[in-house]
Amino acid sequence: MDYKYIEQLLERYWQCQTSVEEERILRDFFSQKEVPAHLQRYCALFAFEKNEEELHLGADFDRKILNRIEEPVVKARRNTIRFRLTPFYRAAAIVAVVLCLGLAAQHSFQNDTKQPGVSYNYAGYQDTYSDPQVALDQVSSALKTVSHGLRESGLHNVDSALVDGGNDDKM
Amino acid sequence: MINFRDDVLPLKNRLYRLALRITLDTLDAEDIVQETLIRVWNMREDFDKIDSIEAFSLTICRNLALDHISRKESQNEQLDESYDTTPDVASTPLQALLLEDKRSWVMKLFNELPEKQRSVMQLRDIEGKSYREIAQVLGFTEEQVKVTLFRARQHIRQEFEKIDNYGL
Repeated sequence: MDYKYIEQLLERYWQCQTSVEEERILRDFFSQKEVPAHLQRYCALFAFEKNEEELHLGADFDRKILNRIEEPVVKARRNTIRFRLTPFYRAAAIVAVVLCLGLAAQHSFQNDTKQPGVSYNYAGYQDTYSDPQVALDQVSSALKTVSHGLRESGLHNVDSALVDGGNDDKM
Repeated sequence: MINFRDDVLPLKNRLYRLALRITLDTLDAEDIVQETLIRVWNMREDFDKIDSIEAFSLTICRNLALDHISRKESQNEQLDESYDTTPDVASTPLQALLLEDKRSWVMKLFNELPEKQRSVMQLRDIEGKSYREIAQVLGFTEEQVKVTLFRARQHIRQEFEKIDNYGL
């Protein structure tokens, strides 16, 4: 086989007259197994160059870089999501408050209808009895009952006070 | 419209190889690529003003790598130490070396070139970039790129010829 072409290319390579494409031909030629003896010594050079072309970074390099550059972006996106949801949180809070008030109001109205509480509006009072004498009798009897009850409890208190006092004297 | 994920992130390995060629340290190179990508990301508002995002990223990467090695050099002599620890394979006859050893000899040749020649060799012979693109990345004229590349290749050729002539 004629290696004139390769020898010429090699000479032009040393003179920096080869094109990028011709230099690629040289690298490919010197990377094959069958290289004539007189050109063998240059295999090391071109094989080295071809070998160096294969050098690359580890597989996790991309992840490292993307982690470093995308960190702030992810953060920003999180912020915007939270930001976008803020009106919904507000709306939900307002709805909750309105619901609570509504439920409370409904509850109190229902209570009003079933068992009315004590009314302090004296003007709204109506007469229970038509005959004033009957009313007076009723009030008198009620007051007597109360008075009797008070007296009983008062006596009891006095008795127990006396007993306690007697005990104190004894001591 | 330039998209970071589709247009910038896939440049990572090319950036890594350039950073590695300059710093000669895989961990440092990886850090530099990260820093480069973050800087490009931070300039995403101006993407449409950038002519070539690849050249732009490579330029940032190279500048960061240069800053890094100058800082490292001022701190200590680590770079020189790493040179010393690489096996001096040239002291044995090339014929006796395995291909892997030859490759590490070539790597040593490459890495001992001055930084500009190294970067030009990297971009031209490994990444297959045109003179115009390289000039854009390095801020050179195309003529300067060609001259730098010529010096680098001549140096490598001479080293190869030394071995041929003296078997060393």
